[in-house]
Amino acid sequence: MTYDAKIDRLPIFALFDLKGPQEALSKWAKDTPAFPKGPNKLTHKASATLCHIGPRRWLLRDDLENEATWSASLNPEEAPADISIVRVSDTQTFFRITGPDASEVMSIGCTLDLHPAVFADDAVSYTEFFGCKALVLRCEHGFDCAVEQSFGNMIKDFLNRATA
Amino acid sequence: MMNIPCPFCGPRNEAEFAFGGPVKPHRPDPNAVSEVEWTQYITTVPNPLGPVEERWWHVKGCGTWLTIWRDTRTHDIVEGPGDAG
Repeated sequence: MTYDAKIDRLPIFALFDLKGPQEALSKWAKDTPAFPKGPNKLTHKASATLCHIGPRRWLLRDDLENEATWSASLNPEEAPADISIVRVSDTQTFFRITGPDASEVMSIGCTLDLHPAVFADDAVSYTEFFGCKALVLRCEHGFDCAVEQSFGNMIKDFLNRATA
Repeated sequence: MMNIPCPFCGPRNEAEFAFGGPVKPHRPDPNAVSEVEWTQYITTVPNPLGPVEERWWHVKGCGTWLTIWRDTRTHDIVEGPGDAG
């Protein structure tokens, strides 16, 4: 059985790991998208996405060409002591799974309920994907899924086998 | 397979968690208890037939450490006895 799904390994994104009290972060990081209203939710502003991925923890994602702009805007070196901003762009590999059977492919490797009624367009979460910790969010016609860079080739192989 | 309630993410599959072991009793003052009691504290792991208080780490999720009561006979997550949990 084959699935009608397309697998793409995306180029590196600009990623910043933001930790600390939301009030302090929103005061310091003024150019980010609005902070999401709940856990495991995301917000967009232009090409940037802000994901609430843990208690007092957010992940900012944008296109790689905007990395320098974000570095200058977030200014991690000068950040107050109660917040932490770390550039983690090169630590994650993103896969894009799109097509009519994208959710079927996701369900092979992921235990999370990804039905739109449960995992809506503004949902994002770390979960398990083919045994690895992975960030899962929706994209147009499918899902984006990020794993640690070192697991990238393995996950690519698993996805190829799943859709072969 | 258990469905463990994470305070940040909500109920999640057991596969996303790492077992952190049972919650140990309060550490006694080694100078105030007998050798037998001290040895029992450092060597005996709580392993009741019934509800046991455990720590779990949402390692493949949000990273939260949480405490639950699990019934060792059924793997059901249950309310803690009395005012515990």
